[in-house]
Amino acid sequence: MKKPRSFIILLVAMTLSLATAAADLLVVSVQTTQIRKSPQFFAASIATLKAGEKLEKVSEANGWIQVKTASGAIGWIHSSAVVASKFSLQAMNKDMKTQATAGEVALAGKGFNSQVEASYRAKHGEANFAGVEAMLRTRVDLAQVEDFLKKGKLGAFGGAK
Amino acid sequence: MKAARVGAVSLAALGFAALIAACSAIQQATGVLNTAMARADDAKTVIEAGQKLRNSFADITEEEEYYIGRSVAALILGRYPVYRDDGLTRYLNLVGNAVAVFSDRPEIYAGYHFLVLDTDEINALAAPGGMIFVTKGLLRRCQDEEMLAMILAHEIGHVAAKHGLQAIKKSRLMDAFAFLGAQAVQRYGPQDLAQLTAIFEGVLSDIVGQLIERGYDRQSEYDADGLAVKFGARTGFAPDGIARFLATMVGDRSTAAGKGWFKTHPTPEQRIGQINKAIAGLGTPPGIEDVRTRRFRQNCGSLK
Repeated sequence: MKKPRSFIILLVAMTLSLATAAADLLVVSVQTTQIRKSPQFFAASIATLKAGEKLEKVSEANGWIQVKTASGAIGWIHSSAVVASKFSLQAMNKDMKTQATAGEVALAGKGFNSQVEASYRAKHGEANFAGVEAMLRTRVDLAQVEDFLKKGKLGAFGGAK
Repeated sequence: MKAARVGAVSLAALGFAALIAACSAIQQATGVLNTAMARADDAKTVIEAGQKLRNSFADITEEEEYYIGRSVAALILGRYPVYRDDGLTRYLNLVGNAVAVFSDRPEIYAGYHFLVLDTDEINALAAPGGMIFVTKGLLRRCQDEEMLAMILAHEIGHVAAKHGLQAIKKSRLMDAFAFLGAQAVQRYGPQDLAQLTAIFEGVLSDIVGQLIERGYDRQSEYDADGLAVKFGARTGFAPDGIARFLATMVGDRSTAAGKGWFKTHPTPEQRIGQINKAIAGLGTPPGIEDVRTRRFRQNCGSLK
């Protein structure tokens, strides 16, 4: 009688420890981003991160999360740049590689990806992808945005509410 | 009895070792669990699991949203030519990104990008993923940077609230998630790719239909106006820029006005009322600065 009960207790303990570990694990969900010295966009950058990189949550404040990278760097990232790495308990009976939580799909590059786009493009000459590429090449960096805010008396330089 | 206790102790020791493994590497622990737990390996279970894990537009990943947005933008750019003026495009991207930084969704997969469409129609469109378009006709109608910034803030509001993705039919999304949940591969074979491409085509037609042909529902427009006031004021723009812009549209029966933004939105009068309520909630909102109006005229004054 004791054996199965101990085993169940063990399973519950492991499941709980997994859930706790998963709650603090984040995945970068945008193409590239930075972690910063303080919780604001114009603070000094500490490291550049890429989609799929795993981060450990340290603390949280006003939409910003303090994280630790795999290489041990600690800094702040905006919450819109990460997703929680979810482990679904319903999915535990399957090999995790075949499961599709939002975070894991992003990691694997599955779903609607460049291969699906290429297949769509081949059939739809009316869609102007060259125009999209040109649009995406126009970039302004944060230093330029900050300068623009300063000259226009915006943000911290003006009457922002 | 003794044997049972020894068994339990050794099992506990085994469990402890497994727990250490779980702490050191979650994937290893998953493996332990996988072998420990009963399994049902048929494809149906996988599909059900896929549906349980992703079941609404909010579960579309950033990367998927980006790929949907690219194709929506490509379809918009297939219909309208681009107004080519590098200085103006750059200015538009600075205004838009200034607001985006203060929005509820400052980070987006490939950043926010803004472009002018060469048409007299008065319109603004946001593809999912942060690719945002304004027409030459709309820029001509704007009188200052506040008006432009607040219109861009409204479009960023649509992106932040994922209104474009909400246009995807629920049944289509369920088909997509069920299909994707069942796939273990990173590259699709020809048959799977054909099926996924067909779902993708449906997704695009849902979004483009909403964006260009039918327009968002009333509530989405009011929500985007509310977000515009919030994001715009946070940036430091006078939020009544959007109400002043809308006031220029009241009673305008020109073809340019009838084709774009205002065919698809609640009436300007209705929106102005709601916007003024939102602004009243701010206390003392930021005001206009001449320096911004001057740079707006420098960049938009010579529109052909």
